[in-house]
Amino acid sequence: MIVLQIVLLVIKIVLLIAILMGGFAYTMLLERRLLGFFQLRLGPNRVGPGGLLQPIADGLKMVLKEDLMPLGADPFVYRLAPVISLFTALCVDAVIPFGAPIHIFGLTVTLDIANPSIGLLIAFAFSSLGVYGLVLGGWASQNKYSLLGGIRASAQIISYELAMGLAVMGVLMTAHTANLEQIVLYQKAHGWLWLPQIGAFLIYFVTGIAETNRTPFDLPEAESELVAGYHTEYSGMRFASYIIAEYINMITVSGIAVTLFFGGWLGPWLPPIIWFFIKIAIFLFVFIWIRATLPRFRYDQLMNFGWKVLVPAALIYFLGTAAFVSGIL
Amino acid sequence: MIAFVILAILALGGGVGVVVARQPVHSALFLIMNILALAIFYILLSAEFLAAAQVIVYAGAIMVLFLFVVTLLTAGKDDAEPQESLQGQRLTAGILAVLAGGGLAVLGVLFPSRSVPFGLPPNFGNLHGMGLNLWNQDFVYLAAVALMLLTAAIGVLVLNRPPREGPKPRVKEGDS
Repeated sequence: MIVLQIVLLVIKIVLLIAILMGGFAYTMLLERRLLGFFQLRLGPNRVGPGGLLQPIADGLKMVLKEDLMPLGADPFVYRLAPVISLFTALCVDAVIPFGAPIHIFGLTVTLDIANPSIGLLIAFAFSSLGVYGLVLGGWASQNKYSLLGGIRASAQIISYELAMGLAVMGVLMTAHTANLEQIVLYQKAHGWLWLPQIGAFLIYFVTGIAETNRTPFDLPEAESELVAGYHTEYSGMRFASYIIAEYINMITVSGIAVTLFFGGWLGPWLPPIIWFFIKIAIFLFVFIWIRATLPRFRYDQLMNFGWKVLVPAALIYFLGTAAFVSGIL
Repeated sequence: MIAFVILAILALGGGVGVVVARQPVHSALFLIMNILALAIFYILLSAEFLAAAQVIVYAGAIMVLFLFVVTLLTAGKDDAEPQESLQGQRLTAGILAVLAGGGLAVLGVLFPSRSVPFGLPPNFGNLHGMGLNLWNQDFVYLAAVALMLLTAAIGVLVLNRPPREGPKPRVKEGDS
């Protein structure tokens, strides 16, 4: 029985990584095509039917590229940094339930790798480690633009993580649990949480965009000021690791938003896992839409917005939710 | 037991590395290794919440701030041995460390039940047990720590306030 459980776990892990990698590849293609349409051009449509084989061509290109390292770089940290980014990005998804538990061959298979009682906090713990990839990569390159990008990343992510944590607390208090599966089941019984937690959801989504370093919060890589920020010096697969991590983080932020605020896998007619993917796809579209629409923040604007708008707003919403849950209000 | 030994080696190695590493960023990395090893120790003690809090607060926030400062200050510096301003500090520190460790060990052997408190409250270290502890019997300490941290934060703000401007320069002298 234990052997069977371990085999099942390994299969689930391999499947999850495959799904995330495929998700990354086609999110990237989707982004390039959509950005093309937003800007009244076509985007990549030459490789395969409608450009569908483009990710494979990109992947081959990345694998075959030379792996460069600056002369003054710190070799160990330089190689370690992209691995940290990719590793933490993949780990967060381990606790997200992708669908309702399935019953086959008398076995109950949950569609998450792990289902700890504090799943939400585990997800936060891993995603809070992701910033090391950026900071260390920026530092180890020994390039002033990389360094500036890394320093920006650390300041930005610390500031926005705070508001994100406060926003998510509201859901945690309303559902009386930090277990992601239980939160979905709570929403099954009491309705989806985006409406009662609309303030928390908006703050979560804004900070989620900032945490993934997407436009308009892509200050760490700001290509018009810092060349490419923390990953200026990286090439080949190490560069690809950063990009993969960024897109998987997008999927993760969407997945957690869906789980916390939009009922996770819940939905009529279609199988639960399909609903989950549809909801994630909608979020990814919004991510790309925002990137195509909004210009980048200036650095002081970013900090002011984070500390003077988002954190107080999240705190007030948090206290309001606490008062409501405890019955004072 | 195997897990304990591996984690202990990682934690101790991290601790030694912090002191031995010449490059401050490497020291910070060793400290992160130590913190993560401790977090897994907590999981082994089935104190999941403590583990998550350890990672989120120490590894995810405090060490990032450390790195922020360290990367900013040490960019492009060589890692040569700095000149010691205080002579013999290593020897003194070593003697003190041995004395402190020996003292603790002696105390631990002499008063085994008092130095190692047994009987943790039920659910210690998971979300529920931790919350009950913090908001019931230990609330005074929680409030005290909160007050202390608030004082520190306000202190930083006060100390870093830009110097108050003296008598305003009379720009509009010609007008009056």
